[in-house]
Amino acid sequence: MNLVAVGVTFRTADVGLRERIAFSDPQRDAAAADLAARYGCEAAVLSTCNRVELFLARPGAGDLPDAALLAEFLGEYHRVAPEEVRPHLARRPGEDGVRHLFRVAASLDSLIVGEGQIAGQVKASFEAARSLGTTGPVLNALFQHAQRAAKRVRSETGIADGHVSVSSVAVDYVRQVFDHFGDKTVLVIGAGKMGRLTLKHLCHLRPKQILVANRSAEKAEDIAKKCGGKAVAWDRLDEALAHADIVLSTTGSPEPLVSAARYATVRNRRGGRTAVILDIAVPRDFDPAIHDGDTTFVFNIDDLKNVREQTLTRRRVHVERAESIIEEEARRFLENWDRRKHGPLIARLTEEFETKRKEVLEPLLARLNGKLTEKDRNEIVSAFRLYQNKLLHGPIAALGEASRETHGSSLSEAIRRLFRLD
Amino acid sequence: MGITHACFGLSYLTALVLELVRQGHPGRAVRVAGLVAGVAGLVAQTIFLAVHQPNPATAYGSLLLLAWVLAVFYLYGSVHHRSPAWAVFVLPVVIVLVALSFLSARNGGDIGSWFSPDRFWGAVHGLLLLAGSVGITVGFLASVMYLVQARRLRRKRPPLGGLRLLSLERLETMNRRAITLAFPLLTVGLLLGAMRVPLAGGPAASWLDPKVLGTVGLWIVALLLLYLRYATHVPPRRLAFLTIVAFALMLVTLIASHPLSMGEGSG
Repeated sequence: MNLVAVGVTFRTADVGLRERIAFSDPQRDAAAADLAARYGCEAAVLSTCNRVELFLARPGAGDLPDAALLAEFLGEYHRVAPEEVRPHLARRPGEDGVRHLFRVAASLDSLIVGEGQIAGQVKASFEAARSLGTTGPVLNALFQHAQRAAKRVRSETGIADGHVSVSSVAVDYVRQVFDHFGDKTVLVIGAGKMGRLTLKHLCHLRPKQILVANRSAEKAEDIAKKCGGKAVAWDRLDEALAHADIVLSTTGSPEPLVSAARYATVRNRRGGRTAVILDIAVPRDFDPAIHDGDTTFVFNIDDLKNVREQTLTRRRVHVERAESIIEEEARRFLENWDRRKHGPLIARLTEEFETKRKEVLEPLLARLNGKLTEKDRNEIVSAFRLYQNKLLHGPIAALGEASRETHGSSLSEAIRRLFRLD
Repeated sequence: MGITHACFGLSYLTALVLELVRQGHPGRAVRVAGLVAGVAGLVAQTIFLAVHQPNPATAYGSLLLLAWVLAVFYLYGSVHHRSPAWAVFVLPVVIVLVALSFLSARNGGDIGSWFSPDRFWGAVHGLLLLAGSVGITVGFLASVMYLVQARRLRRKRPPLGGLRLLSLERLETMNRRAITLAFPLLTVGLLLGAMRVPLAGGPAASWLDPKVLGTVGLWIVALLLLYLRYATHVPPRRLAFLTIVAFALMLVTLIASHPLSMGEGSG
């Protein structure tokens, strides 16, 4: 397969270089168009925070640009010295390139194995390149199969199970306790950065009401305005706690905000209703003793990080199976490609033999007309057809073998010339 | 018809094993194979029930009918929720009920036609109690899942680690609805049964029969569950334990022989 994948990833370069050669979406599209025009080949560019990769291919023979040339291209595009980029470029030609893209799309080559974003980023890169017309038969088939392989990995292994960001894990916990949110009240205490992110996730659950409590009334109003909630006075915190089903606490308070004794009075006012408290403040805002695992669940930042670690450990168990799926899919893709690549030549060769057979057989049958029974005639026709198939078997089988041994193009050229197919 | 308890019991067991395998090797093929085994078991059991028409007044018949309803419940849940947890919790109960039914048959469970016009009210009484039992069993399953889920959350285990269970709120709702539906069915079933003892000319000792006492006990536990749920703030975990007690009592009641089944052949 005439394909090359060249790029810089978090494995080969630090973030300092990666951020300098990263492409925004419009830059990515312009770069793909530029590559396709400059080198006369199919081109697609994948650019994420962890990788910048160029995929170049040709349906037929012909050299593809080497790593030095592509380092120059990247350097020129981003105004970085090519010699600075070149040592960090990994080049994967042919089958290696196929396997690499499949692994990338399946998130096996990601910083966090099993993360869900990369599949969408691969798809977006491909769609953009296709709509620009910089892809062709090779990259179209390759990227489409890569997406199928990634989907298979995700559905047949547990590699994508669970969440690994603290805010997603927090929301996962909430969803394990509550089923519907249209009747739930969320109380946000404080205004930490992590809290804002988690609140964003909680807002997606569409709770009935969001209350915001902050020592600063202005800050509370500001956050409430942004999330469509209602600010509550700081001195009415206990009342809000008694009312809330989900509490997100993220203050910068040096002392615990709610002691076990204080929460005991709140609990008495709750009428046995369940509460989930996401205490992602450091130091913690809620006394861990409040967690009773019955009607009150308190999850602090360490609990959420532990879950993240356990999820990653569990995902690693599935890597071996995922790799075998990728290997299987890559092999299948390459076999299909070989068949497809030589399809037109085989069709042309068969057509040529068919014509030749008819040229010999039809005059013969015309000469023998009247001297043959129907049975004799059929036997002669069958014998010629069998002879034709036996002659064809050799070149067709050789084409299949040669493409796997990477000299398919020279053999196909030889066959064209031997049988005068042009 | 050569269908036996082993046919559907082993089909359900196969479905359970495949669902457990799916925990380690998630995949469409294993899921489909598990569902096919489950459907095969259900079809075999349905044919068996249609042919043999077991008497719900007997331990043999009631356990088998209850297992059948739960098998339907398992298939619905597996298709609807697409979670292996469903099968992992429901199928063992189905298999145990089938096994208990099989053992009851060996101990002399009667088999024969029971839903005939002259036994109409007996059949209605039996079916109502059986429907109530289904409610208690669904409540039991929801309670077991609730306790497992609550334990995971109490220990702060990963939300998606191991079996993927429904949320506590959902399981609690399922338990509440099951018991709320079971209670009126048990009440009417029990009243019909109480009216039938003098009509059938049953002995006074029938009132003290273990099955009658068990059914009354079950009704009281269901009433207690409803009271605790709606009139007090008892934590759902305690209600879940009480529902498990109700299920145990129900099993004992189902296994006990019916006071009128000897004379009448139906409940």
